[in-house]
Amino acid sequence: MAQNTPAVVMDNGTGYSKLGFAGNDSPSFVFPTAIATKAQGAAGGGTGSGRPAVANKPSYLTGGAGPTGHLSMKRGTEDLDFFIGDEALAAGNGPGYGVHYPIRHGQIENWDHMERFWSNSIFKYLRVEPEDHYFLLTEPPLNPPENRENTAEIMFESFNCAGLYIAVQAVLALAASWTSSKVSDRSLTGTVIDSGDGVTHVIPVAEGYVIGSSIKSIPIAGRDITYFVQSLLRDRGEPDSSLKTAGEIKEEYCYVCPDMVKEFSRYDNDRSRFLKHTITQPGGRQVTVDVGYERFLAPEIFFNPEIYSSDFLTPLPTVVDGVIQSSPIDVRRGLYKNIVLSGGSTLYKDFGRRLQRDIKHLVDARIRASEVRSGGAARSGGLEVQVISHKRQRHGPWFGGSLLGQTPEFRSYCHTKAEYEEIGPSIVRRFALLGGPGGS
Amino acid sequence: MSKDRQTLTVSRPLHNSELKMPAYNSIFNAEPSPTLIANFPLLPLRTKTRGPAYTLPLDTALPLSQSPDPESDSYDALDEVLSLFRANTFFRNFEIQGPADRLLIYGILFVSECLTKIKPSMSAREAQKEVQNIALDSNFAIPGDAGFPLNQMFEAPGSRQEAEALRQYLAQVRQELALRLLARIYDDGQAEKPSKWWLSFTKRKFMGKSL
Repeated sequence: MAQNTPAVVMDNGTGYSKLGFAGNDSPSFVFPTAIATKAQGAAGGGTGSGRPAVANKPSYLTGGAGPTGHLSMKRGTEDLDFFIGDEALAAGNGPGYGVHYPIRHGQIENWDHMERFWSNSIFKYLRVEPEDHYFLLTEPPLNPPENRENTAEIMFESFNCAGLYIAVQAVLALAASWTSSKVSDRSLTGTVIDSGDGVTHVIPVAEGYVIGSSIKSIPIAGRDITYFVQSLLRDRGEPDSSLKTAGEIKEEYCYVCPDMVKEFSRYDNDRSRFLKHTITQPGGRQVTVDVGYERFLAPEIFFNPEIYSSDFLTPLPTVVDGVIQSSPIDVRRGLYKNIVLSGGSTLYKDFGRRLQRDIKHLVDARIRASEVRSGGAARSGGLEVQVISHKRQRHGPWFGGSLLGQTPEFRSYCHTKAEYEEIGPSIVRRFALLGGPGGS
Repeated sequence: MSKDRQTLTVSRPLHNSELKMPAYNSIFNAEPSPTLIANFPLLPLRTKTRGPAYTLPLDTALPLSQSPDPESDSYDALDEVLSLFRANTFFRNFEIQGPADRLLIYGILFVSECLTKIKPSMSAREAQKEVQNIALDSNFAIPGDAGFPLNQMFEAPGSRQEAEALRQYLAQVRQELALRLLARIYDDGQAEKPSKWWLSFTKRKFMGKSL
């Protein structure tokens, strides 16, 4: 049965989870990685975190002494009384439920919540029988193997799924870029710039393997852009400067400019660049907010973090250049040639173009300097810098998973339920490289 | 050609001096040997106010709110102040690369000061009164005075005469900047209320300083 069904692709991120089937263009469900559980005790007070003492381990690991009796007592119906995704946020607004985010910084922190999150994802949203499907899950770079084992235990023992593959998000993001016409050789070497809501990662990948020691992250991402838009709206005294409005303005109107000063004077000369954004407030009242300089200033914080933050001052292009320079020398060319964007905060118009230009400036300056140092004895053939923007950027890792999950050889790369039962959880410590050399 | 091409292109990490501060510097730093008092440049101005500045030709057809083309002869350092003001007020760090940068800093801080005097409800006349008050007041701090906020970067004039000349030049800068700024904020006097796009910069402090 499992031989004919499409693989299930689940990309659980800190902010959003993307769920769907391999071979599709876009995920079937995208919702916050949030779970709302009944607050502990009838009074609804307490710690607000369900079962604090045992919640950090999968339920079956707590077997034996101690809390089990207590837990099994609680495993009545409360256990089934929870919501995930948007429903969780809605329930959290009302009384009786507390909202939890089981993933922090890309890694699963609360396994009990995550298990229940997955169970609802599979049975309530995707509505599939796990024993009929292979699963492709994602993990952040540098995920400890223990986490992977825990994931396998839940997938195979709680859900009884047919087969499992766990891929690194950055590698999938590289695979997603194969849809771009700029990519010719389908290599798994490149630098992934993954910018979501909370943090931006720069991850070098060589032939499908993440160069862990060179990864850098930047504390500037989507949320900061929203905050910056909000502060600009407030400076101007706009009638509505809520985070929601700021977020809408960010998503609808922002773009990356080539130069701040020139962009200011373009606004002086061309009034049509100022726009208006209409919002309907809860009471049904319509409010109009002017939209101006934030259109180009907001994404500018990637390139000039100083205008937003006082403690982090390194521009994204400099960080990318530094990451590649700290990688092994024989892969640097490949890393410069294939800089791939992924995540919602890389979608601004001309983001890739500006990034490519700024990195190229840094690289060219260095080449010139070393030519001068050699006293004219050495000439460089130049270095190609290419930033790839593509249509699947927003859900890059999910789409890469969808692409690889539909290949005929995908199943042979997975570990099956039978293999798991024979060898045990440690089997998932290693996976053969999907889509790598030898693949099609 | 004994050296290997590949290793050459990917050499050592970026040298510190190649990292430039992102805030914008003055193009007038390139001006050959400007007149200096201490380390402050007396750059030519396009102005009708009287003072020691060498005056540039005035194009009467050009509205006061507009700047001439940066390539043209009548483009002066104050045009540059007004065009860099909005971008530079976002920056706290600034590296002085030439004497003209000091005029740029002073100009930007003075524009900030003018903005604090203009309230959103003021008409062009009221704002003009407030701003002219500080522009015409001859009792302002100059480099070297105890009340001057940037004495670390600005040298004090060497003599009483130099101090007096610098004060007169700065007075010219202040009056001319005030005129041009008001013209921009009130659209050459046609707008009834000040432009909120300019007033939104009131709270930002370039280099964390104010005059």
